[in-house]
Amino acid sequence: MSTTRTILICSGKGGVGKTTTTANLGISLARSGASTVVLDADFGLRNLDLLLGLENRIVYTAQEVLAETCRLEQALVKHKQEPNLSLLPAGNPRMLEWLTPKDMQAIVALLEERFDYVLIDCPAGIEDGFKNAAAAAREALVITTPEVAAVRDADRVIGLLNTQGISPVQLVLNRVRPKMMSSQEMLSVDDVTDILALPLLGLVFEDEQVIVSTNRGEPLTLSDGGSPAARAYSNIAGRLQGEDIPLMDPAKLRRGLRAKMRELMQTKIF
Amino acid sequence: MTLQLPDHRSQHWKDALPGLLEQEPSTAVELDCGDWNLNCTDLQQLLQILDGMGCRLRWLCSRRPKTVVSAAAMGLNVHPVEKMEQPSPRSEDQDGLLVHRGTLRSGDHLQCDGDVLIYGDVNPGARVSAGGDVMVWGRLRGTAHAGCFGSTKAKIVALHLRPVQLRISNAVARGPEDQPLDGLTEQARLDQGVIVIEPAETRSIR
Repeated sequence: MSTTRTILICSGKGGVGKTTTTANLGISLARSGASTVVLDADFGLRNLDLLLGLENRIVYTAQEVLAETCRLEQALVKHKQEPNLSLLPAGNPRMLEWLTPKDMQAIVALLEERFDYVLIDCPAGIEDGFKNAAAAAREALVITTPEVAAVRDADRVIGLLNTQGISPVQLVLNRVRPKMMSSQEMLSVDDVTDILALPLLGLVFEDEQVIVSTNRGEPLTLSDGGSPAARAYSNIAGRLQGEDIPLMDPAKLRRGLRAKMRELMQTKIF
Repeated sequence: MTLQLPDHRSQHWKDALPGLLEQEPSTAVELDCGDWNLNCTDLQQLLQILDGMGCRLRWLCSRRPKTVVSAAAMGLNVHPVEKMEQPSPRSEDQDGLLVHRGTLRSGDHLQCDGDVLIYGDVNPGARVSAGGDVMVWGRLRGTAHAGCFGSTKAKIVALHLRPVQLRISNAVARGPEDQPLDGLTEQARLDQGVIVIEPAETRSIR
């Protein structure tokens, strides 16, 4: 019985941060010493290689591995700075039809023999691409943002995951803006967990650095910098590995800033 | 290949069966009835659907003792499913009351011919349709249709009644905009052709 954890990262809605989360979690897990592979199941519109800065190193895909025209080691792309992390694209963007749930199970079975963590980056939507990606997963992370549409789609996806017997399913709330939450312009954390009724694995605050790092192909968690999103992602990776890290509280973060201001005022330097 | 009737949450078997048969190349059908509790009348309808599509039932299997007994009584070739590993199924049909445990999520559509009791929430985007009453032991935030075969006496009761849309018989109403008081169980019923919401009667659950 393998102890590998095969985790599907999905959301239903597009653009909520599946790929960003996969890349950052992959780096964080690898940095903690776990051998990790990220499998890009969204190979029609594949982006995970861009985010990891590995686009120019891809030669083969899982498709060639299954066709036995190359070995698995040849298809796995090792990350430049983080040798514990490998990337495997599931297929060629121009050959969308080939992957079936059975193929997916075969690829994942190969990966489970040699890695501690297999993260599967799922395509948006709930059609065949999703079904293929979910076919081999044992656990799932559902990414959503505090928006009505994203929550609705996440709810649908959770229902589908439940019928497939994938468990546990945990929640990551991405792109949280504490200011908008406290002024009630955005769904609150409670509003979201109230509907989805899932354990919340982490909150990621909206962070401009994500855009910069995405364009550069260097995930935020690669450096020890203190950007809020980077901290959030490494916390999520820690919690995935069973560490007990308290959740960030958006209200406290704001109060913290105000408290700092008050402290400044009280120092009477003026 | 064995045809699999859908889960309670996704579709009624009567609606799904013709589509399943169309995909089946062979006319001798093997049918897995899953969690559906089918009585002799249901099975007769099932055979009629098969007949209408020019198919013949080779055998059927079921996780439900009730379905197995009814099918055996009708002289059909039937066997229980070997993997009975799910001791507490999500949905249980007893004497016209379907009890569903668990939350209905967006996209789910629970349908039944009699009354339905949902032991969980109905989330936005989910639907429940029942021939009789809809009772939700939780929050109703999706769409509910009671009396979907025309019964005007049907009611919708929920611990927290804030649906997207309500339907009783042929009447349709949008859900109320304001939030209900905490701890106030409400019901919706038809009053002279219009859906009204009021505090739930304690006698409403028959």
